[in-house]
Amino acid sequence: MIVLKHLKEGDVSYVSHKDILRVLQRGLKRAKIDVKYSQGYVPHMLTYTSTPVPLGVRSAAEYFAIDCADRDKDDVLKRYNAAMPNGMRATAAFCCEKNPNLAGIVIASDYVATGAEPLAKEIEDICGRESYVIDTVKKGEKVKKDIARLVFGLRVDGNTLYMRLACGNENLRADSFVEHINEKFGCKIKINDIVRTAQFAMKDGKMTDVEEILK
Amino acid sequence: MSIPDKLKDILLQVAKPARYVGGEYNLPNMDKPCKERVCLCFCDKYEVGMSNVGTRILYHMLNDTDGVVCERSYAPDLDMAALLKANGLPLFSVETKKDVKEFDLVGFSVQFELQFTNIVYMLDLMGVEYFAKDRGEDIPPIVAGGPCVVNPMPFADFFDAVLIGEGEKNLAELVELHIACREKKMSKKQFLLEASKLDGVYVPAIHNKTKRAVVADLDNAYYPTKILVPNCDIVHDRSSIELFRGCANGCRFCQAGFYYRPIRKRNVDTLQRQACELMDCTGYDEMGLLSLSTSDYPQLKELVDGIKIEADKRKVNLALPSLRLDSFEAEIYEEMQGASLTFAPEAGTQRLRDVINKNVSDADILSSLTGALKYGVKNVKLYFIMGLPTETEEDLQGIVDIVQLVKRLHKEVGSSKLLNITVSTSIFIPKPLTPFQWERQISIDEMYDKQKFMREKLRIKNVKYSWHDAKSSLIEAVLARGDKSIAKSIVKAYELGCVFDSWSENFDYDKWIAAFEQSGVNYQKFLDGFDEEEELPWDIIDNGVSKKYLLGERRKAYNAQCTPNCLKKCNGCGANKLGRCKI
Repeated sequence: MIVLKHLKEGDVSYVSHKDILRVLQRGLKRAKIDVKYSQGYVPHMLTYTSTPVPLGVRSAAEYFAIDCADRDKDDVLKRYNAAMPNGMRATAAFCCEKNPNLAGIVIASDYVATGAEPLAKEIEDICGRESYVIDTVKKGEKVKKDIARLVFGLRVDGNTLYMRLACGNENLRADSFVEHINEKFGCKIKINDIVRTAQFAMKDGKMTDVEEILK
Repeated sequence: MSIPDKLKDILLQVAKPARYVGGEYNLPNMDKPCKERVCLCFCDKYEVGMSNVGTRILYHMLNDTDGVVCERSYAPDLDMAALLKANGLPLFSVETKKDVKEFDLVGFSVQFELQFTNIVYMLDLMGVEYFAKDRGEDIPPIVAGGPCVVNPMPFADFFDAVLIGEGEKNLAELVELHIACREKKMSKKQFLLEASKLDGVYVPAIHNKTKRAVVADLDNAYYPTKILVPNCDIVHDRSSIELFRGCANGCRFCQAGFYYRPIRKRNVDTLQRQACELMDCTGYDEMGLLSLSTSDYPQLKELVDGIKIEADKRKVNLALPSLRLDSFEAEIYEEMQGASLTFAPEAGTQRLRDVINKNVSDADILSSLTGALKYGVKNVKLYFIMGLPTETEEDLQGIVDIVQLVKRLHKEVGSSKLLNITVSTSIFIPKPLTPFQWERQISIDEMYDKQKFMREKLRIKNVKYSWHDAKSSLIEAVLARGDKSIAKSIVKAYELGCVFDSWSENFDYDKWIAAFEQSGVNYQKFLDGFDEEEELPWDIIDNGVSKKYLLGERRKAYNAQCTPNCLKKCNGCGANKLGRCKI
């Protein structure tokens, strides 16, 4: 099993996750990576991804696990990068004994969002509250959601907002959160100016960067 | 603010934003030094345009030409168009997000009559006048091409020039000429005068007689293998190789069969090489083997066998559309391992099949279906045309009889699998450049009567019947057979809200009728038959096949006389003056 850490940048950030899966699999075929297939009536490639970023949000830390016969991770990285469209470049490759089940273990992600103007310091106060309810959209309907325990960290530095938000089974969408901030604090952060920079899972009782876990 | 910056604000407000941003794999170099920037516009949505093989060939051909860069623009969906207008943004190219009217040359691909309002829609989004005569020197030449140029008259006046025939030849020559004219600082008018001297370039302002441009040597003609692979789902999401161009069958209702003559094929070696390159460069799971009648390719078995070895290695499926009933080869079918089979007998009785020169006999149908059912086919799709010249109720009953025959055969071969039969009927439209071009279009009431007859007769277990919309067929007929007066009706229809007419949810018959009335066009005259002596709107275009030959075919049709397949003997249609048939 080889896990690739890749970008989702530029034009590709507007491609939905369902389409990205197809882009990734076609890339593997072009790269001639010897991917294993399922044994069912309609065999499909055995590949796995972590929780996707919302449409329009960019990422520097997407993970993609490939069940393949190839073991030379650097060679796979090189071939993959030669076969992918712009904006999907892989930045690191890891060899794993078995599927790390990233979609199951990831609990948080770091995001950086940059606005055109300096952001209000009060944004940081959202973190650490007992309860904080925002309006979000779920299955096309407006719902209220208490996000207090889904915000792990917030820091404002000039025009930039650093966020650590719940990601995975319990999830706070970065785009919904930023839209709330725009509305409440009068900011003008564009969704495409949010970048996911890292994903985290628990290791030895500590929230650890997935990259560290895979190394 | 630049177009890309403004787009950031609106892309997340529209459905499927990936359609507007490009960034596909195999994107040609947009930054190379160039003398000419061309934008190819497709009159439908991204997912339709990206599936079109013709536009794909021309896009890559131009980008592989020294000094030329070609970009694309597709008709934005209605949500995007509304936001573009609200934000003061023009129609832009997918690659560099450049204003389309700032290109040196703009080309439109017109694939289907019901896309005509989309031409006006895209010109409107470009922010230019609809009619070429009203556009000044500051707007680049806007030209059109595509299958609808068989009769370009209804939309010709929107364009500075219409390219008749195969773009590998006339578009390449036109771009070369435009570079030369711009270097000499010639005006658009002077350039168009020069362009009208090229083969296959019709300039509406000059109304010059034009001979269709044809690629003489298809085997050595340009065919791209390092093609764009879209990031989002498109209609035909696969790579394809083109086996041959033209068709030897001469079905009298089929415009493509006459238009794409002479017949020219690619060699097995060339096709196998292209197939391997395509599989390696795209990563697609499926490859189509395209032509108008795939089973007429002389070395089909050899070709499929060769490609299949490579395709299996790469886990690629092969798709063989356009197989004919009479040459259906169970062996090939077995290799394809399909669970669904599509047949197009087109007419229900032998007599009517002879009228339309569909050289398929009852015996062919019987043997092919028996073969298919033996191999465990679970779905049979049958396509027919209704409203053909000389059609009677007996012919419609013949369709029902074929369905019953399939059911009986299924029982006889003793298959344990359930068989689903889908019957689809379309409405016959007498298209230009066919032996039926003089025929009248049947009325909407006649269409409804025939569809009602079929609906009642096909209430059979496990048989599904679907039919083509009568009203859109009628409008399609007017647009296919119209003259230059139709252009103002197209503009009026667009102003009344007609756009994306080929998408059934958008088609509005009443608005079209209102558009004809308000623009003072008697559309009925294009639905009534034409006299044989009368000059037809498309007569100025020499498509190769002679009018005399078409008239002869019409006579034979009324006598239910068949014309043999061109592979058996040359029938002297006249297309050989454009180039020799080579198959």
